[in-house]
Amino acid sequence: MSRRMLTALVALVGLFVALYLALYKAGVIGTLACGSGACETVQLSRWAVFLGQPVAAWGVAYYALVLALAFAGIQERWAASRGLSLATLAVTAWGVLFTAWLTYLELFVLHAICRWCVGSAVIVMALFLLAFLEWRAAKREPGALKD
Amino acid sequence: MGRERMDSGRGRGGGQGVVKGGGHIERKTSGGKRGFYILLAVLLIIGITALSYMASRPKATVVAVDTTLPPIPNEGHVLGSDTAPVEVVEFADFECPACGSFATLTEPDVRSRLVDKGLIRYRFLDFPLNMHRNTWSAHRAAWCAAEQNKFWEMHDALFQNQDRWNGEATSRPDKPIADLARQLGLNMQQFNSCVAARKYDPQIRANIEQGAKRQVNATPSFLIGNKLVQNAISYDEFKRHVDSALAAARPAAKATKAK
Repeated sequence: MSRRMLTALVALVGLFVALYLALYKAGVIGTLACGSGACETVQLSRWAVFLGQPVAAWGVAYYALVLALAFAGIQERWAASRGLSLATLAVTAWGVLFTAWLTYLELFVLHAICRWCVGSAVIVMALFLLAFLEWRAAKREPGALKD
Repeated sequence: MGRERMDSGRGRGGGQGVVKGGGHIERKTSGGKRGFYILLAVLLIIGITALSYMASRPKATVVAVDTTLPPIPNEGHVLGSDTAPVEVVEFADFECPACGSFATLTEPDVRSRLVDKGLIRYRFLDFPLNMHRNTWSAHRAAWCAAEQNKFWEMHDALFQNQDRWNGEATSRPDKPIADLARQLGLNMQQFNSCVAARKYDPQIRANIEQGAKRQVNATPSFLIGNKLVQNAISYDEFKRHVDSALAAARPAAKATKAK
């Protein structure tokens, strides 16, 4: 299984985590399966909204984008595309920065750790790592297309 | 630059390009394609099933209330018309995250679609839990805001800003709560002396007693008709319970009129 396939699978898991939190925010899911009240503290804080939209909804969009990029990379047409590798690396790097900011808020401002957010942070890191390895391999490939 | 050949047919191996003689690239991307699609389908099924289950599972514990108990006295803080056919009583703790969740996500719909339309009257009764160390400060502040006719404004501000004053944020909640009071435009001298004197502690205790009589042991708990519904429920679930209480209230009202 290629790294792009693995990226797609991991992004799909992340998409479901983000969807779960977004559905909670929309009032469809009563309470979060969290084990403590920390998830609600985080999800209901003023930091859970970014540019007028719930952070969970941004998460859904982010994972959907990574999934779409990974899917495109699996297609024969873009299989050797360096540009696609670079785009995936850029998107996932942005995800890492955004997650780092959210984790900082959880630890030092809200003093509450949401397990689902930790799960999402791990997924975001894994996606970045996969994207970095893919980008490095694409760069080393002497005959790869230059787009 | 050499000619490139992309092979996306079925085969073994990962997706890395391998250079063959003459600079040709043979990319073995499809070795795991079948496995990938199978895994993808499995993940999709698991994810959709799990989300559907979470969205459809009963979110609340519902118990019948002892109907021989005297009715809830006209206490607490009320939204809505006196002539509304059904009264919903909420027992809540200002520091409880599930109460915050309900107040922030669901209660706006309850107010606009049920209270404002005259279907229900909404009564808030204090039920501070011992596990929340800052909750009494918030309940006192809400009562002292009520003294200045700003209970619901303070109610909303406390729930929306739980992370500023709750036990995880601070051991001195009075200052952030006073900041909220100031933002609401309360007379701070009156507010501060009211809070310091613990003027409304007897009322808060009386409300706790009303909940205890009805076996309330978690927050939020809603008394809707003859049912006690515990947990932060969605609007749809809340509406279902209200509809059932409305259906029960109508024949009773007709019988009373006939007499």
